[in-house]
Amino acid sequence: MDLSRRIAIVGIGETRYERRADRPLMTLLLDASRAALADAGLAARDVDGIIAPGTTYQELHEIARELGVRQQFFTASGYSGGAAVASAPLLAALAIEAGLARTVLCCRGLAWGSERHGNVGQLHAEMPMKATFEIPFGWYPQAVYFAGMARRHMELYGTTEAQLGTIAVAFRRHAALSDNALLRDRPLTLEQYLAEPYLAEPFRVSDCCLVNDGAGAFVMTARERARDLRQPPVVVLGVGAGVSEDGEYASLRPDYLATAAVHSAPQAFAMAGLAPADVDFVTLYDNFTSMVIQQLEDMGFCRRGEGGPFVEGGRIALGGALPVNPSGGQLAQAFMLSMNNVCESVRQLRRAAGPRQIPDAEVGLVAGYSGSEHATLLLGRDR
Amino acid sequence: MTSAREIAARHLPDPDWPVAREFWEGCRVGELRLPRCRACGRFVWYPAAACPGCGGGDHAWTRVSGRGRLFTWVRVHRAFLPGYEGRVPFVTALVELDDDPRVRLATFLADVPAGGLRIGMPVAVAFEPVNDRITLPIFRCV
Repeated sequence: MDLSRRIAIVGIGETRYERRADRPLMTLLLDASRAALADAGLAARDVDGIIAPGTTYQELHEIARELGVRQQFFTASGYSGGAAVASAPLLAALAIEAGLARTVLCCRGLAWGSERHGNVGQLHAEMPMKATFEIPFGWYPQAVYFAGMARRHMELYGTTEAQLGTIAVAFRRHAALSDNALLRDRPLTLEQYLAEPYLAEPFRVSDCCLVNDGAGAFVMTARERARDLRQPPVVVLGVGAGVSEDGEYASLRPDYLATAAVHSAPQAFAMAGLAPADVDFVTLYDNFTSMVIQQLEDMGFCRRGEGGPFVEGGRIALGGALPVNPSGGQLAQAFMLSMNNVCESVRQLRRAAGPRQIPDAEVGLVAGYSGSEHATLLLGRDR
Repeated sequence: MTSAREIAARHLPDPDWPVAREFWEGCRVGELRLPRCRACGRFVWYPAAACPGCGGGDHAWTRVSGRGRLFTWVRVHRAFLPGYEGRVPFVTALVELDDDPRVRLATFLADVPAGGLRIGMPVAVAFEPVNDRITLPIFRCV
C-alpha cells in the first residue's frame, strides 16, 4: 500500500503553554482538539478516528464524549512519547486508505508542570532493571542518560560545549519570535550559556527541555477531501517509525549514540521519494541540546561525528540553510512530545508563521522520540 | 570523592529480587558475577529470559574479571534524588568489561586522576559494602 501523499493535515490547535495551567489536563486536551477542528472548519460529527497517545481508555472516551463524537470511531495506539505524535499520520493513513476512517483527530497533552513536582524521572525509577543496576550507582535520570551520550560524542568527535550552546541560543532566539513560547522573554547569549553552572556535565539548565502544561491537536483526512476544506492542505509525504535494540536501556545499546532515527528516517525518505537535501526545515525532538546533533546525524543531514560543526555558523537558526525548531522547540517553547513541532511545521508550510516564516518552505521534517522509539514525518505543501 | 556508601544510602536495590539475587550475592563475597548463556557463551546483560545471541534460555551466573574500560561518564552536580543533597558532585559512569565489551555496567567511578578522564581508560572493580546484604560494585581508575 503506497501511503505517500494520500492524506493531509487540515487543522491544528494548541493551548497556551504554561509552567502550570489553572485547569486540568482533560480540559487542555479538549481545548486543543476543538481548536484544531475549528481551524479545519470541521465539527465533532465529522470525526471518525481518534488517536490520543498517552491517554487511558477512560480518558479516550471522555474526550470523544466531551467533544460530541457520538458516531462510531476508529482508534489506535502504537508508539509512545514523541514517536507516537510523529507517527500518528502513519496510523491515520493506514486507517483512511483501508476505509476505516475519513477524518482522524490526534491530540496530546501533558501536565508534567503540575503533576511531577520536578520528579520527571519517575517513569524510569519504576523500571526494575534501572532501579537495580543503574539508580544505586547514580545513573539517573534523563539528564544523566543523555549527558553520557553527549560526553562520548565529545570525546570521540571533538564536539564542544559551545556547539551545544549554539543550539540553545538559536532556539531561544526562535522562541522570542513566538507568541506562545515559555522562554519568549528570556534571551540567551552564548556567554550567558557558558556561565551557567552544570547540572550533569556537560549539561547546564539551558541544555534541558522545559517542564510544563499544555496540549495540542491536529486533524487528518484524505488529500482529495482536504482540498475542499478551509486551510491549505499540508500533505503527509512520508512517515517512518523504528525501534532500538535493548529497549529503554540506552546504556546497553550496541550503537550507543544512535537513536532509532537510523530506522525511521530512511523509511520516511523512501516513502516520500526524497532525500535530506530536499528538506527546507526540520523540527527535532530536542529533549536535550545534544539530541539535535544525534538526530541530524542519524537522519543523514550530516555524517556521524559531524553534527557539532554542522550546527555552527547560523546554519540551524532562522535565516540559515537548515532552520531547526523555528518555534523554539522543546528547549524554549514547550515540552510537548513533538506536538508543538507538528503544529509549527504545518504553520510554516501554510506560510502562516508570521515573523518566524521560512521563505519558500516546501518540505518540512518532524521528528519524535521516546527512548527506544523514533518516528520521522515528512510534510509538504500540496502541489 | 564521596563514598558510594553514602550516595546510595537511600536508593538501594532489593537484594531479594530473584532476577538479581545472584548478582548481589556475588558482590557480597567480592565476586562480580553475570548471567552467561550455556548454549553460546554470550553474556545476557541485563538479565533476560532470552540470550541476545542465540535466544537460549539456560543461563549460568559466571564470575568475570572485573577489569574494563571507561565507556562514558557524567559528573553530576545536581541532586536529582532525595538524599543526594550535600553529596554532589560525584562521577557516575558506564564501563565496558574486558570479558566482553558488549557488556556495560553503570557504576560510580573512584580514584579519578587529576589529569581528567578519557574514554578507554582502564578501570577495575572494587567492592564497597553498604550493609550486610548489599555491597556495591564500583570501579576505580587504575
